Amino acid sequence: MASATKADATLAGVVSVEAVAALSAAARESEALRARRLEAVRLLEGMTLPHRARHLWRYTDPARFLPSADLTAPAPTEVTSQWRRDDEVVGVALVAGGVVQRVELAEEAREKGVTLANLHASPAEALAHLGTAVPADHGFIETLNTAAWRGGLLLHVPAGVRLDRPLRLRFAAPPAGSLALPRVLVLAGRHASCEVIEGHGGGGAGAQVLGVTEVLLEEGAEVRYSLVQKWEPGVLGHLTAYAHLGPRSRFTMATAVFGGALAKTDVGATLAGEGAESEIYGVTFGGETQHFDHHTEHRHLAGRTRSNLDTRVVVTDAAHSAYTGLIRIAPEAAGCEAYQENRNLLLSPHARAESIPELEISNEDVRCTHGATVAPLDPEQLFYLGSRGLPRNQAHRLIVFGFLGQTLARLPEATRERLEAMVAARLHGD
Amino acid sequence: MSQQPVFSCSDVHVYVADREVVKGVDLTVPAGEIHAIMGPNGSGKSSLVSAIAGHPAFTLTGQLFLDGEEISELEPDEKARRGLFLAFQYPVAIPGVTVGSFLRAAVSARRGQDVPVREFRRELQAAMEALEMDRSFAGRYLNDGFSGGEKKRLEILQLLLLQPRFAMLDETDSGLDIDALRIVAGGINQAARGGEMGTLIVTHYQRLLNYVEPHVVHVFINGRIVRSGGPELALELEARGYDWLQPEAAAAGGVS
Ligand SMILES: Nc1ncnc2c1ncn2[C@@H]1O[C@H](COP(=O)(O)OP(=O)(O)OP(=O)(O)O)[C@@H](O)[C@H]1O
Ligand SMILES: [Mg+2]
Repeated sequence: MASATKADATLAGVVSVEAVAALSAAARESEALRARRLEAVRLLEGMTLPHRARHLWRYTDPARFLPSADLTAPAPTEVTSQWRRDDEVVGVALVAGGVVQRVELAEEAREKGVTLANLHASPAEALAHLGTAVPADHGFIETLNTAAWRGGLLLHVPAGVRLDRPLRLRFAAPPAGSLALPRVLVLAGRHASCEVIEGHGGGGAGAQVLGVTEVLLEEGAEVRYSLVQKWEPGVLGHLTAYAHLGPRSRFTMATAVFGGALAKTDVGATLAGEGAESEIYGVTFGGETQHFDHHTEHRHLAGRTRSNLDTRVVVTDAAHSAYTGLIRIAPEAAGCEAYQENRNLLLSPHARAESIPELEISNEDVRCTHGATVAPLDPEQLFYLGSRGLPRNQAHRLIVFGFLGQTLARLPEATRERLEAMVAARLHGD
Repeated sequence: MSQQPVFSCSDVHVYVADREVVKGVDLTVPAGEIHAIMGPNGSGKSSLVSAIAGHPAFTLTGQLFLDGEEISELEPDEKARRGLFLAFQYPVAIPGVTVGSFLRAAVSARRGQDVPVREFRRELQAAMEALEMDRSFAGRYLNDGFSGGEKKRLEILQLLLLQPRFAMLDETDSGLDIDALRIVAGGINQAARGGEMGTLIVTHYQRLLNYVEPHVVHVFINGRIVRSGGPELALELEARGYDWLQPEAAAAGGVS
């Protein structure tokens, strides 16, 4: 185990064939699913921890995401998250302790053939889509998750079905010293439409969460997805969420990252079908010694696809945020548009942020822009607001909300209000 | 009548980037009076009014009295809540913050209590109409993408809503077209109409003073008031420039 923390350490043995087979059997999984897991175990055997110089890991030590607990040990059953009635939604699921604790789906959705269910026991035709948006070899964390995920959810919205209220998927991070490997698979059929709020909360000091989410959109489908992370202060977590877009489908992702001691996200979309559109909006607010590391990717594989990305980060105290954003345009993807912007606001002299946009463009016929800024609070703005009678903390709040506002506006109303309250509460101590 | 002035200051020196840019200013502005300060570029006019408002880039020594209270040690927001106002020469943009929400916060701060939304909306509409501003401005981001003239109008809108005790207007007339100048001047006169407020206008041109008649005109050269007089002094400056006053400036400089 000790040798595994070295940069070139092999990942063989991090998870064993026997343990994964046992886990799969205990969950009464299909042969096909078990085979997929074991394939990932074998993949791990040939992998080493990524080098720090590789851009995705320039700012964060990958060894911190190596499982510190036996990842196939019986999951703690203690449910830290409360079940809450929620009338704003059409469906809700709660995953805690590596187990799907509860799933509720409104009659109106069930009648239309919508499925919200435990992924372990899902039908083969659904499971066959695993790995489409996030292949097992996406990175070592995704390989680990593919081998040993537990507490997974499947949402299937059949062709033509449009849900006008959101679904809420809630994941409780484990207690101190344990590990969670959640997995989400969303399948939106042709011209289906839905809104999903994936929420992560709770967790003890040193708890690890390595989650993977895949969203597949068939032709003309429309999915609005929110990824809201509000872990307790000590959590170390890595969330990967990718969408795979068919022709003329539309994907909107809004991420809100607030909690954890070390939180890394890898969020993106593959625009695989002609005319697909993806938008990603992100809000991060952190303080104390929190460390954030965000990566985004828009991959244009087909012609006339369009992507837009706007992420905003506010850090105070001694918090640190790093962002890398990649736009990739394939040689055959003509007539694409891709925009990317990342802005960082530093509220204290000890807060730090880095931002690195990257472009890989192999087709001339594209419109592409990107921008990045890192700046402290502007003293001229503060003086202007002060000269109108606003005390310092209120001026801070106004500037911060202004900075985050356009991005927060992309979140579903109820989520937005809760996040605004969180930002306000954390600014109060300013 | 020995009524207490709204604003007075004595022996004010202002330093910026290790340089003394205001070199001893005494000024007294009684309620209901409009004073104009005129002077060449770089003479220190903006430095004086910015430092009085508490801009952190400037260090100020000397005393400032607002309604008889010494305020030089107060933070900018405390000064503002007591009724000090500065219309900026270059108002700053704050993207993402709407004019409406900002104004309501400012008005609430000045009055020391939250102004109910409906009451505020009514007041805002009346003030915007007076300045012939389109209602859509309330929903725009503060000074973001505003034209020069629109920014100046927004400063005067704030003057109307905040009802300060002492208002300093730094080149509010520059960048305005002829119609806007008349409208903005109307706003200043409306704010001053009650006779309660003291006003200090920094300007380069007589054209504003045609609409807003000053009681006193001060000539400001090289960090000092070198001469004060009635409205006719502004006309004289317009005709003759500042050169004829340079000896006075030199003399004033030679003394200290
Ligand atoms: N933040 C600053 N840092 C350094 N120097 C400054 C700063 N602000 C003003 N100054 C200097 O102080 C002097 C006075 O400038 P100020 O802006 O007060 O002049 P002004 O009389 O308002 O001129 P104008 O009529 O052009 O507006 C100038 O030499 C200017 O360069
Ligand atoms: Mg000036």
